[in-house]
Amino acid sequence: MPIVIEPYREEHEPAVQEFNRRLQAAGDPDLVFYKSSRPKWLPQIEASPVYNEYLVAVDSGVVRGAYALKHEQVFIPGKGSISVACYHHPLSEGIVDRSYASIGGLMVRDALTRQPLLYSLGMGGYDRPLPKMLKALGWSLVQLPFVFKIVHPNRFLRDMHALRTSPLRRSLMDAGAATGLGWLAVRAAQSALRARAPRSGPVTSDRVAEFAGWADALWLQAREQYRMSALRDSETLRRLYPRTDDHFTRLRVRRRATDVGWAVVGERRKDAKYGSMRVGSIVDSWASPENALDVAQAATRELETQSVDLIVSNQSHTAWGHALERCGFFNGPSNFIFAASKKYAETLQPFAENSGGFHITRADGDGLPRNF
Amino acid sequence: MFEQVRRIAADLFAVPTERLTSESSPETVEAWDSNQHLTLVLALEERFAFQLYPEEIEQMHTLGDVARVVEAKVQAVKS
Repeated sequence: MPIVIEPYREEHEPAVQEFNRRLQAAGDPDLVFYKSSRPKWLPQIEASPVYNEYLVAVDSGVVRGAYALKHEQVFIPGKGSISVACYHHPLSEGIVDRSYASIGGLMVRDALTRQPLLYSLGMGGYDRPLPKMLKALGWSLVQLPFVFKIVHPNRFLRDMHALRTSPLRRSLMDAGAATGLGWLAVRAAQSALRARAPRSGPVTSDRVAEFAGWADALWLQAREQYRMSALRDSETLRRLYPRTDDHFTRLRVRRRATDVGWAVVGERRKDAKYGSMRVGSIVDSWASPENALDVAQAATRELETQSVDLIVSNQSHTAWGHALERCGFFNGPSNFIFAASKKYAETLQPFAENSGGFHITRADGDGLPRNF
Repeated sequence: MFEQVRRIAADLFAVPTERLTSESSPETVEAWDSNQHLTLVLALEERFAFQLYPEEIEQMHTLGDVARVVEAKVQAVKS
């Protein structure tokens, strides 16, 4: 029997659990496909272009691979709203049994027949298997900036496990924390960055329970100013950040009673590389590029008020990068990659030149459930 | 046909041609992983100017299988 790639249905669930067991036997607890065939995050509902679809590669009743597509719409100036999909969570039996080495490639090709305008996001760096495969298929790839702000320098120096990689580094970081020199150095660098920020008028930010019509006006005002942005009207925002999800803080940002933008911030789940630090994230944000600083400042203030130790964000647009820099953020090493299929990249040409004008944040792709 | 396929595979996997036999497979060739399998498929499509169907790719378990699929495909394209 040939391998058939088909929508993941309830009848496949036991076979997916078996598939997960075989993958986990390889020793990586992250190698797990969704137990339920109905997506918990963004299930398909009528009239919404944003939804998840799961697919499985079945060989005589045995699941040998699985992947997910997050369908959505993006706006590209001059082209309007177009449907695209994020290729995410691909898992193949080839990871543990090389006789199934063809499954990974078959799944990407299958996804391309279902939606030629495909992208992938994150992926952990160029050296990972998925970006390598996408590159081989002729996809266009670009690394997006990662920025971080140290709110509590001493906690950062003592708990940033990703940097405490050698005895010498650990000693230096401990000494920096104990003597206060680390604190001084971080504060001095942040002050220098902030001094470059222009003084803006009176800006206020209010926590809101959910997004409403005012967000539609902001979407329409600013979308032409980005080379590409995923749909962020109020209906989509209510799906991404529903009122019932109290993990996120939704901020409405105004200058002299006029809406200038919004941000969504939240505390990330614990991650070994950050030790016991509380890590906040500017998950998503929207404004015209000239108003990015107002929104970045409001989002940063909110997370500082929540007493996180470190704030992180991924923002592809150069205006947002500059705005965050002026809020005291530093650029860090990024493993956050945006990859566009050949057909999708054709709509984004010149791809490399335009990439600094894309509006891509941590909330795009499959980042929300993975990180929060 | 096998010789042509073997040369392409040897280049991709960076192994001496003589180390590849018709029985060589992802299980016996260290460099032949999922990515290289896809790269091999793409290289064959480019070299022979055809597009392989999923069911054809699935049959490619060994280098001998690959050569047989390519041979059949070339004949089908010609006729």
